[in-house]
Amino acid sequence: MKTYKQPSTVGRFGEFGGMYVSETLMPLLLDLDKSYKKIQKDKKFKKELNDLFKNYVGRPSSLHYAKNLSKFINGPKVYFKRDELNHTGAHKINNCLGQILLAKKMGKTRIIAETGAGQHGVATATVCALFGFPCYIYMGSKDIERQKPNVFRMKLLGAKIIPVESGSKSLKDAMNEALRDWIKNVRDTFYIIGSTAGPHPYPKMVRDFQSVIGKEAREQILKVEKKLPDYLIACVGGGSNAMGLFYPFLNDKKVKIIGVEAAGRGAKTEETAATMTSGTPGILHGSYSYVLQDNDGQIKEAHSISAGLDYPGVGPEHSYLKDIKRVKYFGITDKEALEAFQTCSKLEGIIPALEPSHALAYLIKAFKNKHKNKVVILNLCGRGDKDLFTAAKAIGFDADE
Amino acid sequence: MNNLDSLPKKKILSLFMTCGFPTLNQSKKVFNEMLSHQPDIIEFGLPFSDPMADGPIIQEANKLALRSKLSTQQSLNLIKELSKSKNNTSFVIMCYLNTVRKFGLNKFIKNIKSIVDGIIIVDLPFEEEDAIKKSLSKNNIHLIKLISPMTDKKRSKKLLKNSKGFIYYISATGITGSNKLDYKEINKNVKSIKKMSSVPVLVGFGIKSKKDVIDISKKTNADGVVIGSALIQKYFDIKMDFNKYLKSLKKFIQEVKI
Ligand SMILES: Cc1ncc(COP(=O)(O)O)c(C=O)c1O
Repeated sequence: MKTYKQPSTVGRFGEFGGMYVSETLMPLLLDLDKSYKKIQKDKKFKKELNDLFKNYVGRPSSLHYAKNLSKFINGPKVYFKRDELNHTGAHKINNCLGQILLAKKMGKTRIIAETGAGQHGVATATVCALFGFPCYIYMGSKDIERQKPNVFRMKLLGAKIIPVESGSKSLKDAMNEALRDWIKNVRDTFYIIGSTAGPHPYPKMVRDFQSVIGKEAREQILKVEKKLPDYLIACVGGGSNAMGLFYPFLNDKKVKIIGVEAAGRGAKTEETAATMTSGTPGILHGSYSYVLQDNDGQIKEAHSISAGLDYPGVGPEHSYLKDIKRVKYFGITDKEALEAFQTCSKLEGIIPALEPSHALAYLIKAFKNKHKNKVVILNLCGRGDKDLFTAAKAIGFDADE
Repeated sequence: MNNLDSLPKKKILSLFMTCGFPTLNQSKKVFNEMLSHQPDIIEFGLPFSDPMADGPIIQEANKLALRSKLSTQQSLNLIKELSKSKNNTSFVIMCYLNTVRKFGLNKFIKNIKSIVDGIIIVDLPFEEEDAIKKSLSKNNIHLIKLISPMTDKKRSKKLLKNSKGFIYYISATGITGSNKLDYKEINKNVKSIKKMSSVPVLVGFGIKSKKDVIDISKKTNADGVVIGSALIQKYFDIKMDFNKYLKSLKKFIQEVKI
């Protein structure tokens, strides 16, 4: 088998990816690409990052055998890759540490980021506090409403939150505004993109920083099971936690890989975020990839109960992996995710974020009474604290009582 | 024939307006008003849901235009209809790549051939332009190049090779409608562009008033200006009273024609 080698030097995953931005940003992206290539070979950078991973984030995150859930499913042995135990409660910090070290190296003095669920915003605000950077977070006003705990955390960490009122007032619009900020402040600003989306080199860079998840998981499973897993499962918003887990396994043909998207009220309805199930190739935020769009190429508004998956696009590498059929993608509805959210909490004593609850729901649904003697690793990429209010409301529990 | 090949030597005026703004019918009247002043260039903005490089004013214009689900075909039809009274004015389309891609490049060109003289695709960088540029050039439509203050000399040289029509110099690092104009920097960069290319250089992004237009003409080596957000802003200034808008548009265009 050919070894997997993507993207190309100009940021193409097959035909997907690329750099579709205005001329004001082009020189910056080329510069970023150059700097990123340089630090990849820099031993000191690697050491500094690994040190932070170990002592600041608490890596490696554990690989937990979810015995009770496995029994409930009555199918495969399920392992959780527990990135929800990371400092700040999700995988997002892995990428933020990598990018802030790069920003420092490049001599930038101001950090901006977009956020949906607020996890990436919190992680960015955290690394900015640690390294003493002023931090500006763009967040849709709808997300500010449904992810209040994270809004307060960002404020405590010293970040300025800029509410975004345009479009669907969620992740897509926050990213538009962050890009506009960057165009205005090209000289001093570093934009920390939170997912494997956006123009090259972001999809590659974010994947590389997140692939610590998959590297660890691979070592850990070989130790306990003496073999590679049969399945990997992760939720896909922009696709960073999924790429982080998947990437180190892409050459292992026997490992079946599944990405789970948010289908909202159903992948066939207008209220969905299932980009690869319901979308078509197009250009959004500087990259050619699957998007939800109408016949004229106008980008549609996405819908998901989970703010982190509420995005009408997806990273270009996922589009490529879908088209070459290396990864299969499925949609899970709000309702199914909410149910899995509760099942996991009760059975394993772990309250997952609504994002990985989608991956959990798929696992429970598709593996029930099937695939016995198989081994599954599921990326439990975030914890549910941020979602308590949203979930309580959706389940019909009065949190104020 | 391509009108862009016979632009005047100095004080070129290019007016930008979003198609379908505020409504499709009113948009026709807006463009007719603009055309009646015979500006050198009219730029037709095709509305896009996610205009990444545009400021709040043009964003709002896009949003209003898309309210009634304006299609790409309707915009192109509007341009075609207006071209009957085009005379010497050059027609230029300004849009985002996804609009062209989804419509189909060949079909797009078929619709604008012999009507439109140039096209600016905001998010199509030099690195990705080859195939599109070739098809356009076969049909005598110029692909207009943007140069920003961030574009260094080496890159400018590559971008400007074989440039046609005019060069759009982004006066401020920023989105459309930004306001700080640094004449020294503009002049320095425009001069450097003119050394590498013989087509006119227009300055855009942030030109708001007669004074700005005169200053660009006096203090820099640029061959003209592009005015966009300021034309749209007038609509919001007079609280969206359309008849008053047409009048204030007329007055403003008369002012900036120096
Ligand atoms: C816990 C968690 N998982 C997943 C995501 C989705 O992002 P991605 O697909 O890049 O992992 C988010 C985004 O905010 C998140 O907070």
